[in-house]
Amino acid sequence: MNSNTQLAPDLKLIAPWHLRAFPNREWILVVVLLFECAIFSLSGDNFLTRSNAFEITRLSVEVGLLALALTPVIITGGIDLSVGSMMGLSAVVLGSLWRDGHWPMSLAIFAVLVLGLIGGALNGLLIARIGLPPLIVTLGTFSLFRGIAEGLTRGIENYSGFPPNFLFLGQGYLGHLVPTQLVVLVVSIVICAWYLHRTAFGRTLYAIGQSPEGSRYAGIPVGRNLFAVYLSSGLAASISAVIYVAHLGQAKSDAGTGFELMAITAVVLGGASIFGGRGTVLGTVLGLFAIVVLQNGLRLSRQPAELAGILTGGLLLITLVLNRLATFAGGQSRVNTGAEELDVRNSQVAVLSGVILLAALVVAGSNWLLVRSIQHGPQNERPINSSSKSNHRIQVAMMPKAKGDPYFVSCRLGAEEAAKELGIDLLWDGPTDLDPAKQNEVVEAWITKGVDVIAVSVENQAGISTVLRKAREKGIKVLTWDADAERNARDFLINQATPQGIGYTLTDEAARILGNKGEFAVITASLSAANQNEWIKFIRARLAEKYPDLKLVTVQPSEGDRDRAFSETQTVLKVYPNVKLIMAIAAPAVPGAAEAVKQAGRTDVKVTGLSLPNMNKPYVKDGVVESIVLWNTTDLGYLTVYAAQALISGQLKQGDHELVAGRLGKIEVVDDEVRLGAPFIFNKENIDRFDF
Amino acid sequence: MNRHSFISRNKRELSVALSYLVLLVLVALLAPTFFHPANLRDLAVNNASVLIVACGMTLVILTGEIDISVGSQFAICTYAAGLLAKSGLPLVVLILTVVLIGAVMGAVGGLLVARLGIPSIVATLALMVIWRDALRWGSEGAWIQGLPQNFQWFGLGQTYGEVLVVVAALIVFAAIAWSLHRLGAGRFFYAVGSDAEAARLAGIDSQFVKHNAFVIMGALTGLAALLNAIRFSIVPGNAGIGLELKAIAAVVVGGTAITGGRGTVTGTLIGVALLGTIGPALTFVGINSFWEKAIQGTIILAAVVSDVLMTRLSTRRQYRLAN
Repeated sequence: MNSNTQLAPDLKLIAPWHLRAFPNREWILVVVLLFECAIFSLSGDNFLTRSNAFEITRLSVEVGLLALALTPVIITGGIDLSVGSMMGLSAVVLGSLWRDGHWPMSLAIFAVLVLGLIGGALNGLLIARIGLPPLIVTLGTFSLFRGIAEGLTRGIENYSGFPPNFLFLGQGYLGHLVPTQLVVLVVSIVICAWYLHRTAFGRTLYAIGQSPEGSRYAGIPVGRNLFAVYLSSGLAASISAVIYVAHLGQAKSDAGTGFELMAITAVVLGGASIFGGRGTVLGTVLGLFAIVVLQNGLRLSRQPAELAGILTGGLLLITLVLNRLATFAGGQSRVNTGAEELDVRNSQVAVLSGVILLAALVVAGSNWLLVRSIQHGPQNERPINSSSKSNHRIQVAMMPKAKGDPYFVSCRLGAEEAAKELGIDLLWDGPTDLDPAKQNEVVEAWITKGVDVIAVSVENQAGISTVLRKAREKGIKVLTWDADAERNARDFLINQATPQGIGYTLTDEAARILGNKGEFAVITASLSAANQNEWIKFIRARLAEKYPDLKLVTVQPSEGDRDRAFSETQTVLKVYPNVKLIMAIAAPAVPGAAEAVKQAGRTDVKVTGLSLPNMNKPYVKDGVVESIVLWNTTDLGYLTVYAAQALISGQLKQGDHELVAGRLGKIEVVDDEVRLGAPFIFNKENIDRFDF
Repeated sequence: MNRHSFISRNKRELSVALSYLVLLVLVALLAPTFFHPANLRDLAVNNASVLIVACGMTLVILTGEIDISVGSQFAICTYAAGLLAKSGLPLVVLILTVVLIGAVMGAVGGLLVARLGIPSIVATLALMVIWRDALRWGSEGAWIQGLPQNFQWFGLGQTYGEVLVVVAALIVFAAIAWSLHRLGAGRFFYAVGSDAEAARLAGIDSQFVKHNAFVIMGALTGLAALLNAIRFSIVPGNAGIGLELKAIAAVVVGGTAITGGRGTVTGTLIGVALLGTIGPALTFVGINSFWEKAIQGTIILAAVVSDVLMTRLSTRRQYRLAN
């Protein structure tokens, strides 16, 4: 396996400078970075500015720390998948020590760092002492750490309200320019580079990566050094968690989800061999920035977030293939390729390159068409009531919680309809999955881009409010829709329904179906989903207040996955035979629960919940789903864009009592809330009138 | 072939089976209703597609590689199944096309890993992101509805449909188990995973074998996606989230060495059953589902640790006997 051998050990004496600086062809990344910068400075707004440069670095600190810690791990031929989960565990422990344990912040941070060391020690013990494969051990601790974090908080707890001097670590600027946490990253880079490239300890890691057995015979304490490497990776994860909490202002058990994959991508992109023995800190840093710049640049060029994933993956593959081919083509004939000798025919390379090129062209082409159709559509039919004074088209940037969620897809339809009517440039972007950190990144990018209005459906109140306030300071109007930020962080809230309204409506509907008496079960999204937990709170409150004979027996997670909701419902039906109603409060969970009830043949059990009409139509008509509760999501998107336009043109200001919003007519405005109206109940009679 | 050698040859599988038995006894004591036939049937149907994917994963891991893009492949195959069914393709063509789509995606991974020598964990990590985001981009999260009547359960009705799904999974399992042990081609997977260089010198085209492992894995993922999709009347845009971890965990818990060359699909079958039982069993016993992930992680760790410790014990005993 260790065929990707490093250049000869006497490299330093004989190699020219470029081989010494870039032993693993890291210069490819420099080219990639320059290429990215060139493209994005043309296509993106305000990409090449000083503040954007610092913003990019701020966003890369958490992943960067993990990538730095993973570099030595990967150099020794290991891997650590548990770092992201360790972040989650560290975050909730930090939060609970500080809030519930009333520990001083500094002591809590210290305890969390110790916790990181303990987690790292567990990995190190199993890998270095017992000799288990790192992939499996850290796959186990990946589940274990996240599981403990969820268990401790019961998934619900969301710690926020941290003191300002702690938040400064993640949100502040040194000298009004340099993000605070950048200092931590730079110091870590220096320490890591020093240890890896300038100490005997660092050299032993390469030796271990080349051949653990050989290193042992050479007198290297393999076990001890490996242990140290995993220890440091646990420590880095907990430092990263502290910064993450300070950055977002909240600590929840889902902190750092998926960060391990981004960190590994950065390290491997930076030229480290996953088989061990190869890799540099410089390469990791370059790899990290290649990814982060790509994401930031695409956002500023208003490309969809999904493209960032596709391009990151493509970039990773292309660099690896190029590296492989270059190794193969010669220049390193000394390298012992042995068993892995490449048997690649030129035709295969041609086919592969062709496929990649073709895919890139298809992607680029379809995207160009898409952008064109969006931009040119409304331009052709100049709006009559456009209020923009100059030829400057108003740019409204609207963010859902998760782009792929059918709920938000339907909101987008309405938003685009309104943008077309008003002649507004609508930017629609956000995380592909629920991810509070990503939401902050997107808002930062929009501030840099200089849009006119930012409208956010907030996933994490405490975290995003700081960024939104920053946007307001820069003169950008801020709306929240669907879910609110802190009140002083936005101008207006487009309120479709309060959590209380939703919880109460759901409970009343349940009581109606059950005749005020009986047992029901809730299928939620994930156990740590903030919205759902808020609704469950109000459901319980309503039960206590009004329906003493109605009993909520269990809450089970669906992870936003229809199939999971299906199997959870099957189990609930068997374990709680008296349950006569399943209340599913995540859009994909309702059809999942309905199918389970239907297949179990339990005609005595009904399903209700919060979902979209279209995906439930068959079940509503079958009578399995009694009713679903929701507002008109298309109207919500439509109203948001109208409110944004009214805000810019001055038609909507504090103290107004109504807003005229296109086809919706007059909409009530109370204080700083624009109200869409009460939640709507869809049932057999009316569901066919809706299509979203 | 005496009884002792049977035990020593199948020690890993037996130890997993033993842990599974302990779990079942615990559940039987705490929540006997778990063994209601309806529940066992649902467990079998729900885990059938996981078993198929895990069998494919066993092949890949046996050759010393890994494929973490199966969850995304599963999502694409599910979506493709929905689109094709809606376009009114005949059933046989539909099945073949979905399996083919899976095989092609597997072949891309195989090309990168076996032919170009890119480490499988990295290559399939990149593919995982690419496939998933491409699907998100293309589908925009929309679900496919209005499928023809004969899509759900292939028009066989629920009872026969469920039997079909489970039987199909068992046939795949049996076919792989048989060919791994009785066919020369099956032995190649072990040879390549044990020592690719030695296998090459013995005249085995190890690149070809690895490539095939990925193609089979992809094809099986396609089949699994289809068999999972026909259990419902609507096709979602985000299927198979976390499937790769489920499959890998089942394979590893089942005693297959992550370094390749050692393991059986029988172990994988028990691994799938073990991990598939825990979730529902927790609900039956009344333990809060908040702890599910932590318990799963502990079981994976316990499985590998006990495996290594047992190996050490037996080697020590052998030393003692030898001296």
